[in-house]
Amino acid sequence: MATVLQTIVEKKHYRFIDGEGVSWQDAVRLSAESLVADGSVDEDYYKQIVACIEKYGPYVVFEHNVAMPHTQENATGAHKTGIGFMVSKKLISFGKDEDGEEKTANLFFTLSSTNPDEHMNNIMQLSAIFMNDALLDALAAAETPEDILEAEKNYPCEE
Amino acid sequence: MAKLDGKKILACCANGAGSSLMMENAIKKVMTRNGIKPAELRHCPVSEGKTASRNYDVVFCARTFAKTFEGCEKNGPVLIPLKNVMSDKEIEAALKEAGLLD
Repeated sequence: MATVLQTIVEKKHYRFIDGEGVSWQDAVRLSAESLVADGSVDEDYYKQIVACIEKYGPYVVFEHNVAMPHTQENATGAHKTGIGFMVSKKLISFGKDEDGEEKTANLFFTLSSTNPDEHMNNIMQLSAIFMNDALLDALAAAETPEDILEAEKNYPCEE
Repeated sequence: MAKLDGKKILACCANGAGSSLMMENAIKKVMTRNGIKPAELRHCPVSEGKTASRNYDVVFCARTFAKTFEGCEKNGPVLIPLKNVMSDKEIEAALKEAGLLD
């Protein structure tokens, strides 16, 4: 079975941006554009994610500058389960968390989910990726889809 | 018998679709590693979890949501807020600190 990163490349669910002067709201929108392109989500889908982060704070930003913007399963405007991957050269700030610590991201894995099994499989693989610092560093330096596959080949996840 | 055997465990996040699933996976890893067989392990959104928490022995959430659960401990469950929701190491350490794991 294809890994999530292979699927991202195969479905062209990726985007590479410079990120200079980009707000986190725009970053979420841009990260979802590859999902919009093939009808996985509607153009407005990202707005629900933005509303959720505005309500609860930047809890979707994890360690190592990884963001996993998402809403609930079967959200309005989500039509297929998928991951919109985006690399930003510059770190994008999501503001401060409850400890006053600034949360920033340069890797985006924006989720859409309609199928619980596929979604669960995505989440399990993403957990392993998010704990793999060497892979995250390589992904953050990626500039092409080939770089994504190369990064995974060089730093495979154990699971 | 491990202290968490037969216990009911809940993992909560904003939507019940992202980080709570990651938490559930990480908790599962800790349970397997320590040979613990909980009676129940599930995830749900914070909105549901707040009411549901009284039916659980242990409730995990991201630190952002700890405030939401304030006061829930007097109804029973031990609340464990996590900094890194996918870290099985942090979960293991927190359970040890709470005296729930040897």
